[in-house]
Amino acid sequence: MELLALFISAVFINNVILSRFLGICPFMGVSRKTSSALGMGGAVTFVMVGASLSTFAIYHLVLDKMDLQFMDLIVFILVIASFVQLTELIIKRFLPPLYRSLGIFLPLITTNCAVLFVALQNISQRFNLVETIVFAIATSAGFTLVLFLFSAIRERLDLADTPLPFKGNPIAMIVAALMALAFSGLAGLV
Amino acid sequence: MEALLLIAILAGVYAGLYVLNHKTPIPKGCEDLTVSCGGCRLTSCERHPTHLMEGSKI
Repeated sequence: MELLALFISAVFINNVILSRFLGICPFMGVSRKTSSALGMGGAVTFVMVGASLSTFAIYHLVLDKMDLQFMDLIVFILVIASFVQLTELIIKRFLPPLYRSLGIFLPLITTNCAVLFVALQNISQRFNLVETIVFAIATSAGFTLVLFLFSAIRERLDLADTPLPFKGNPIAMIVAALMALAFSGLAGLV
Repeated sequence: MEALLLIAILAGVYAGLYVLNHKTPIPKGCEDLTVSCGGCRLTSCERHPTHLMEGSKI
């Protein structure tokens, strides 16, 4: 039950984009088409779960044992960047169809602060391994959901009769604000 | 000392993976992949469309 509550809160109530305002760069930049949004969401899911597991292991097996907990930020940044490079390398080599669909997004994820947020949150909230995995999957699911919804709205807005001063990013910002308001209404759900 | 050693090891791992990744050839058919980025105000981002324009000095 607690895992379910954690999952629902990470996806809807404490959504990483609309509540915590992290990962805004891909949210604004890679959300013009639903296909790109889904590709980005898939890549973020993969990296977020993998990076969460890697950082969890390194924190508990290395940093905690050597009394170097203060180094979590710099170590996690290096681990996440290395993980993304490794993922891209493996996908290029062994999974070309997968590289075709989401490989191009991987360099964008290296600097996605949402990934670092999840890694740090796993430690600060003292999650165990299962909770870490659930939180990573839920956060990336919430990220993908919002990205997909936003891209679907933007596709329609591109065809709509928007006043000239609002075309493009201004109307996108207004839509994002309205979505954040809508999601904040889910606060009492869990 | 241990902290510096750890950072050096991780930086070395990252550098090694970076070099290996860039030496790995891109699969056939994937040479012209681009992200459909509409562009925001962050022109320093390498994905910004202004970088793709000829004669761009950014």
